[in-house]
Amino acid sequence: MMDLTQAQWVKYAVTHPAEGFEDMRWKKSGSLKIAFFIVFLLFLSRIAVSRLYGFQFYATYDKIFNIMPYIIQSFVLFAVWVVGNWSVCTLLDGEGTMRNICIYSAYALIPFVAQSFITTLLSHFLIRDESVFIQIIQIIGTVWTVILLFSAIRSVHQYTFGKTVLAILLTIAAMLIMLFLLVLSMSLLQQVYIFLYTIYTEISYRVRV
Amino acid sequence: MRNIIRRAAALLASAAVLWGGSFPAAFAGEPYEVYNYDCWGEPIPSQAGYIAERAVSGTDLGTSPFSSPSDLFCGTDGTFYIADTGNNRIVAADSGLSFTVKVYDRFTMQDGSTTRLKAPTGVFVSPYNGYMYIADHDNSRVLVCDTQGSVEMEITKPDSEVYDRNRTFLPQKVIADKAGNVYVVLSNITTGAAMFSPDGGFTGFYGANRVQPTMQRIGDFFGRLFISEKKKARQMRNIPSGITSFDIDGDFIFTCSASSTQSTDTVKKLNAAGKNIFANMDVIFGDYTPVYDTSQNRLMAPAICDIDIAEDGNINCLDLTSGRVFQYDEDCGLLFITGAVSKQLGGFDQPAALESFGNDLYVLDSSKNTVTVFTETDFGSIVHKAAALHNDGRYDEAIGPWQEVLEYDGNYLRAYVGMASGLLRKGDYKGAMKYAKLAEASDIYNKAFEGYRMEWLRANFGIIAAVIAAAAVLLALTGKLRKNHRKAVTTEKKEG
Repeated sequence: MMDLTQAQWVKYAVTHPAEGFEDMRWKKSGSLKIAFFIVFLLFLSRIAVSRLYGFQFYATYDKIFNIMPYIIQSFVLFAVWVVGNWSVCTLLDGEGTMRNICIYSAYALIPFVAQSFITTLLSHFLIRDESVFIQIIQIIGTVWTVILLFSAIRSVHQYTFGKTVLAILLTIAAMLIMLFLLVLSMSLLQQVYIFLYTIYTEISYRVRV
Repeated sequence: MRNIIRRAAALLASAAVLWGGSFPAAFAGEPYEVYNYDCWGEPIPSQAGYIAERAVSGTDLGTSPFSSPSDLFCGTDGTFYIADTGNNRIVAADSGLSFTVKVYDRFTMQDGSTTRLKAPTGVFVSPYNGYMYIADHDNSRVLVCDTQGSVEMEITKPDSEVYDRNRTFLPQKVIADKAGNVYVVLSNITTGAAMFSPDGGFTGFYGANRVQPTMQRIGDFFGRLFISEKKKARQMRNIPSGITSFDIDGDFIFTCSASSTQSTDTVKKLNAAGKNIFANMDVIFGDYTPVYDTSQNRLMAPAICDIDIAEDGNINCLDLTSGRVFQYDEDCGLLFITGAVSKQLGGFDQPAALESFGNDLYVLDSSKNTVTVFTETDFGSIVHKAAALHNDGRYDEAIGPWQEVLEYDGNYLRAYVGMASGLLRKGDYKGAMKYAKLAEASDIYNKAFEGYRMEWLRANFGIIAAVIAAAAVLLALTGKLRKNHRKAVTTEKKEG
């Protein structure tokens, strides 16, 4: 019963929102490699949506390309979600390990990633009057991912419905705190860097004179 | 041999002509960098559409020097009227600005007595009835007189419930419409221009500005719900800035407001009912991003102090802060930016009024006491020709001129929009898509793409139909195979 390969498990989890992750947990399945690959695809999809969209829908600002926003929108956000969820749910008697949270959350992202690529492709064939098709796909993909994410958190920690909602809300709060601290430490590091650099220039001027 | 010499001579001659022809005034040094905005709203170097030719002072016109003049008006016959505020007179000059036609400093009233002006700040001559309207600021009246200087009517402070009794009547600018209605901008009134019927009766206010809905205004509104009446009285009131100047073009009145803090309603196009046609347009008049001036510690936000509608429908706006004239076509597309704050010819100290006549622009400076004459460059005339064709809806005819414009200045945004529209009209969808992309005009691109897709589908319909049919057959076949396979597996299992 349920003897599936890792790739088949991905398909099974995505197409069975209600019990897919439960079965996966029961079978102790799921691959970290595939999870990281999905997050990488998420990163690519962010770039595709903002840079490769059909010109009739978005006029992108082509003068500069900065990769940082895309990295933050995919890798950083995902990492913060996983760490935040793990830290919150460890306190809330969650049974999930960091590894499992990472795998299940990544699998849940698949519909959203697929939606991004499909709409990007479609935007090159549709005109503005037909944008409702794009919107429908976007809504389906996003709602599907939300449902999967909820189901993933519920089964990875073996929570009830109410406790999952609470855990997700707390996770979002934890994410905001972490991001705030991140920005704070970044700016502090920058200050330190500027300070050191000023000392370096000062000394180098003195040495020359 | 002779032939060769003749050819060489012809070549030299044509080269000389080209040399002389291609270096007209367009390359003479303006005291400023000529720029325009690209599709991302960033300033980039551009070619000049206008070039300062000369500055005319009072002595050049054969009269005494001007003293802080504040208004300039050009009649339909080309006569210029200058409201010479400091000298309490109106100077009329010929269309070439070379001599004075008449100096109006005393007027005969209807009862035979003479009257003098006191700091006139606005002058207007109606093309319909030929009357001259003068905003006689310090005398608190508007004089309506004929060109000989005999007063037909005197408009003073209205005795009306609508007009606040405690307020003085300080006319700043005046115009009159086709029917003879008189509109007066009052320097102390923010509720719009005062409107008078042809017989001088006050009929109300016209074209007030709206309050800008900033965050502070919204906060104030909620704050007011909780504070006492006493505090409320001490608080700043939410009043929009008043109209600074206006111009009339047929049935429409264009107003401008010189406020460096307000960005809504700085330029309005009002119909007869006082409704602003530009209200929902997403256009910023003047510079897009105001520059912070460290030497003066203030933001150089645009303050449009005068507006003029040219004969071809172009809208010229004079920015007091930067001393620049922003020229827009009738659809509010930016054409040219001319002028600067500078002492040299082509720059201004305190620009006060703007007029256009023919292809020339005239800017009155109340600090330099001169009228600067700007003439159109070759580039300017091509752009104007193309823009006029474009705004007429003759997009395909405008393609030629726009192409010429691009040869002069490959960064000129309007030209790409024009090319895209023209090619779209012609049915060259691929070309239209290319230029729409360069112009960053995704709405034109959308239309062009729709046409292109249609054409492509029509051309390749056979292939598409064949591919779909083949795919359907393939799917059906594989489905059948799978079914057979499954059946075989299940039967095997049962047997096993």
